[in-house]
Amino acid sequence: MDSDVSKYTVIGRIGEGAHGLVFKARHNPTERDVALKKILIKNLEDGIPVNVMREIKALQLLRCKYIIKLYDMFPRGMSLVLVLEYMSSGLWEMLHHNQQELTLPRVKSYAQMLLKGTRYMHAHYVMHRDLKPANLLINHEGILKIADLGLARLYWPNGGRPYSHQVATRWYRAPELLYGARYYTEKVDLWAVGCIIAEMITKQPLFAGESDIEQLAIVLQHLGTPTELIWPGHTELPDFHKITFPESEPTPWNELLSDVDPDAIHLVKSFIMYDANNRIPAKEALRHVWFQNAPPPALLEDMPKPNNQKLK
Amino acid sequence: MFSTSTQRKFWTFSDENEVARLREKHNLGFISKHGAHIDEYQRYNYFLSPEEERLLLKQYELHLKEFCRRFSPPMPKGVVGTAFHYFKRFYLYNSTMDYHPKEILATCVYLACKVEEFNVSICQFVANVKGDRDKASDIILNNELLLMQQLNYHLTIHNPFRPVEGFLIDIKTRCTLAKPERLRSGIDEFLEKVFLTDACLLYAPSQIALAAVLHAASKEQENLDCYVTEMLFRDAGSDKLAILIEAVRKIRSLVKMVENPVRERVRAIEKKLDKCRNQENNPDSEIYKRRIREALDEDDMAYTGSSRMSLDTSGMTQILSPSAS
Repeated sequence: MDSDVSKYTVIGRIGEGAHGLVFKARHNPTERDVALKKILIKNLEDGIPVNVMREIKALQLLRCKYIIKLYDMFPRGMSLVLVLEYMSSGLWEMLHHNQQELTLPRVKSYAQMLLKGTRYMHAHYVMHRDLKPANLLINHEGILKIADLGLARLYWPNGGRPYSHQVATRWYRAPELLYGARYYTEKVDLWAVGCIIAEMITKQPLFAGESDIEQLAIVLQHLGTPTELIWPGHTELPDFHKITFPESEPTPWNELLSDVDPDAIHLVKSFIMYDANNRIPAKEALRHVWFQNAPPPALLEDMPKPNNQKLK
Repeated sequence: MFSTSTQRKFWTFSDENEVARLREKHNLGFISKHGAHIDEYQRYNYFLSPEEERLLLKQYELHLKEFCRRFSPPMPKGVVGTAFHYFKRFYLYNSTMDYHPKEILATCVYLACKVEEFNVSICQFVANVKGDRDKASDIILNNELLLMQQLNYHLTIHNPFRPVEGFLIDIKTRCTLAKPERLRSGIDEFLEKVFLTDACLLYAPSQIALAAVLHAASKEQENLDCYVTEMLFRDAGSDKLAILIEAVRKIRSLVKMVENPVRERVRAIEKKLDKCRNQENNPDSEIYKRRIREALDEDDMAYTGSSRMSLDTSGMTQILSPSAS
C-alpha cells in the first residue's frame, strides 16, 4: 500500500511557499527533474491545510498538458512532500525580466495554452480562483502550465454553495469578488484570463489597484458605472452598499489598450464583462479570430525555452 | 467521474471474499509479527481473531455514525459517507490491533470534513469528543498523515447522495410516479444503513443509490421496475440489466442483514485489545511518545548544506506506521 518511496537528490532551493519550502530535485530512477513542495505540518494548528487538500484533489483529477502534474506524495517527519512537475520559469518572470521575448506570436501561443488549460479545468468543474502570471509556469520545452491550485475547488454547475470571496490576487480579481460575492462561478477565472492576455500584450497590468477599494475604483472607472441592465443583480452583492463611487462613463477600449489591434481588443473585451454570464468561455475563446489572423501563434519550437532557474 | 476514479480502480472489489481475504491477511500478519513467542494454539486466546476484529469494527462503525449524527454544527451527509469510506479502507490494510479504531475513527471524520469542504477547526472538532480534548486533538493530528498515506492519497470519494438526486429528478421528469419526494425518508434510512455494510467497497455509488430508491419505492407500495427496464436500461442490453438487478438485490440483502453486535462480546474484545494492541501506536505508552518526539526532531533536519541529499522516506514510513509495510 505504501506509495513509491523512491530516492530523490535535492539540487537546490527554488522558493518558499505559503506552507514551506520548494526544492528542485532529481528523481534518481528516472533522472527526471521534479519540484518537491514540502508542507510543514508540525506548527499548523489544524493539521494539513485545507488548501493543500484542495490542491491534491484538484491535481489528482486533472490530467492535462497545460496543467502542472502531481507525480507522487510522501510523508517526511511531520511534513508532507508533494512531488510536482519541475518548471524552470514562469510568465511572471517573462513579463518582468524577459519582456523582449514576449513577441505577439508568442503571446498568442501562451494565450492558447492558458485557454486550453482553463477549458480543461472548467470541463471538469474545477475553478482555479487564483489565475495570475505568477501561477502560470513555463517548462524547458516552452509549454505554459497552470499551477498552484491551492485555491482551486470543485463547483456545481448550478451553484448552490457559498464560497469565500477572499480569493484571487487583487489585480486579477473579478468585480463580483471585489463586491464580496459568496455565490460565484468558474467565470471568475475568465475575468483573470482576460487580464492576463491584456497584460501579455501591453506588458502592463490591466487594472493595477493598490488596495481592494482602489481596485474596484479602477475597474468602475474604466468600464463605467454598471447599470442593472449591464450587470443584473450587482446591487444585491454583499459589499455593494458599503461604498459608492462617482458616476463614470466607460473609457473607450482603444484608449485603455492603445496601439492594440482591434481583434485583440475584442477578445479581451469578451472576458472583461461585468456580467459573469456574458464572459466568453475558454472553449469559445480558442476559436476567436485573433488566433486566426496574422501573425499566427508561434510554434512550440519558436517558444522561449527557459533553462536555468536561479537556485537559492 | 466514478468510472475513471481511483475509487473504482483501487477500492471497488469484485466480491466479499476478496475483502475478507485482505482483512484476514492483515490479522495474520500482525499476529505472526507480534506473536512469535506465543504457542500457536494459544494465539487467539491472546490476539483478536479476524471475526473478533470484524465485530469490533462493526461496533465502531455504529460509533462513527453516532458521532457524526450528534456532531455540532450539523454535518452534511457527504462528510459522513466519506468518513465511512476512509474508515473501511483503512482497515482493509491494517489490523485493529495495530491502530485502535477509536483513534482512526476520529481522524477519518476530521479528514473527511476537510476533503468535503465542511470547514471546522480542530478546536470545534474536538469539542464534539468526550474526554480529554487536547489529547484527542494530538491523536487526530498525529494520525492525519498516516491515514492519508494508508488511503494512498486517494481522497476523493464518490458517495451515493448525488446519484440519488439525479434519480429523483429523472423520476420526476420521466416517470408517472406520484409525489416522488415521499421516497426521501425511505432513501435516507436505507443509505444510513448501507454504510454499516461493505456495499461501498463492492458497488458503484449509482447502484447503491438506485437500490435505495427502489427500496424506498417498495416501502411506499410502489413499483419502479418499469422505470428501470424501460427508461434507464431501455437501450443498454439485457446483460447489463441483469448485472444491475443482481447488484441491487445484493445491496438490499446486505442492508437487511445489518445487525448490532452483542454488547458483552464487544466489551470482551475491547478488553482483549487493550492487552494485545501494538503499544508503539498507543498514545499512552512511553514508546509512542518517544516515537513522536523523534518524528518531530527528524523534521528539524535541514535540507541546506549538503549538495546531495536523499529524501528516502523509508525511515519515516517506519516511524509513522511500524507495521504498515
